[in-house]
Amino acid sequence: MHIEILKPGLATTVQDLGRQGNYHLGIPPSGGMDLASVKTANWLVGNDEDAAVLECSLMGPTLRFATGCLVAACGADMAPLVDGQPRAINTAFCVPEGSELSFGFVRDGARLYLAVAGGIDVPHQLGSRSTYTLGRLGGVEGRPLKAEDRLPLAQPQRNVPEGRTLPHNDCRFFGKSHELRVVTGLYEHRVMPESIEQFYSETWSVASEADRIGYRLKGGSALTFKEREPPFGAGSDPSNIVDACYPVGSIQVPSGSEPIILHRDAVSGGGYATIATVISADMNRVGQMQPHHQVHFTRVSMEEALQARREEQKRLERLKCLLIG
Amino acid sequence: MAAKDNGRSPALRLETVALDCVMVRLFDTIDEANMPWLLAATQRLREAFADVLIDLVPSYTTVMVHFDIARLSLSEARERALQTLEALEPADDEQGETHVLPVWYDVAVGPELETIAARANITVDEVIRRHAEREYRVFALGFAPGFAFMGLVEPLIATPRLATPRKRIAPGSVGIAERQTAAYPGVSPGGWNLIGRTSARLFDRDRDGYSLLRPGDRVRFEPVNRDVFIRHGGDTTALEERR
Repeated sequence: MHIEILKPGLATTVQDLGRQGNYHLGIPPSGGMDLASVKTANWLVGNDEDAAVLECSLMGPTLRFATGCLVAACGADMAPLVDGQPRAINTAFCVPEGSELSFGFVRDGARLYLAVAGGIDVPHQLGSRSTYTLGRLGGVEGRPLKAEDRLPLAQPQRNVPEGRTLPHNDCRFFGKSHELRVVTGLYEHRVMPESIEQFYSETWSVASEADRIGYRLKGGSALTFKEREPPFGAGSDPSNIVDACYPVGSIQVPSGSEPIILHRDAVSGGGYATIATVISADMNRVGQMQPHHQVHFTRVSMEEALQARREEQKRLERLKCLLIG
Repeated sequence: MAAKDNGRSPALRLETVALDCVMVRLFDTIDEANMPWLLAATQRLREAFADVLIDLVPSYTTVMVHFDIARLSLSEARERALQTLEALEPADDEQGETHVLPVWYDVAVGPELETIAARANITVDEVIRRHAEREYRVFALGFAPGFAFMGLVEPLIATPRLATPRKRIAPGSVGIAERQTAAYPGVSPGGWNLIGRTSARLFDRDRDGYSLLRPGDRVRFEPVNRDVFIRHGGDTTALEERR
């Protein structure tokens, strides 16, 4: 049982929920950039939520199925085509033995997650099948897929019918303008107050450097840092700090000019001040932003962040009950 | 300020980074004398958070505690961290392994040897001697799998990072950034000043614990010639981007 890659698409990788807990070895979590879509795609085909899926960015791959399979695509809207015939996203459908699955142009979002019944059966490395390109871990040889790769499939975990679909309210539309909620970061105090206010009032634009490592934003005013003597061990740029760990979602502003939101393949630490952290409930949305999309940052309290996290968890629990019981 | 006097417990500060992370700050500046305190704090936090711990990441001045928010709230985590670190005593400074990493120091693989020498107004051989003469401590792992931040190099050969980082660096490359030194475990981008290459396997998926180096370990670099370097399996790939 396997899938053959005919065309790899722009950046297609094997991902699951990632390998948390290895930052102390210098290894970021990796895993799907939009974990909610990883889970829902898996549930639609009867998989556990942590089965490995394909993350397809902006331009999808062309795949040939050596075995007939139930599949589902969630996340970005790129019309799935079975031998050229369109299928719906957010709905499980069959790809017959020998058929080709390809994808149309992206109409919304940035990353589509393709789950296959049983899941993609590449070996676990450090507890996950997720591809981490920089560390050459997981997936297929730790790299994005290329033509002629073969992906082994595991046995389906549950027998579920085709045609199952997400409730209408759970079919997400991302749009081109994004409101990202943040909690204020460790080093906000290093920035001039009026400069911080400016940061939150501005409309930022996603730069072309937007990938699994991080999302660079441009178009806003440079931050003004307070005057200081750099502490011993920190670099001399005002945005430098003594090297420390960066959590996923933290926003750093190297040299004060262009903010970068660190995502799931981010370096685990370094010497730039982080001024805020995108709340976990909004990190999936970041993974669905395309270059040139607009971004606003909104400050929320820890309580609001916690509440947003709970609501998203409740939504996913409900979907899980509905789809795999 | 977390000013630290000899023999006195560091002034502790908790900083919140995210819903499920507490950053424990022990110091503000890099200092080898921080190490026993950081090791002690890491050890205590690992035990105290064992039931809820996702990751524990020590660095030069901080320890980040990433915990499972489904089982512990942020305020509980903060309280637990504070209690755990009450009356902290520095750890035995003798802990940690000692490693000797063979390094082929050569301008062929260490393109910044000459710039460092010129800055310091010494010869290339003198740069090598000074780098290899010290024993370094591993302060933190980060940046890439098995990448160990070590220090402190002698002020004379301390050199700021390159203004433009290289897009690709060969595995084993040994570099200097300010007073830190490190070896790149795999191919990666990087902005450190390269002075040589080691044949040591710094990150190995088949090794227990994966990373050769751990915070608290001691490291010496031993100059070897090209033949020895190759015999030990060193990577002689030319730098893809000569500056």
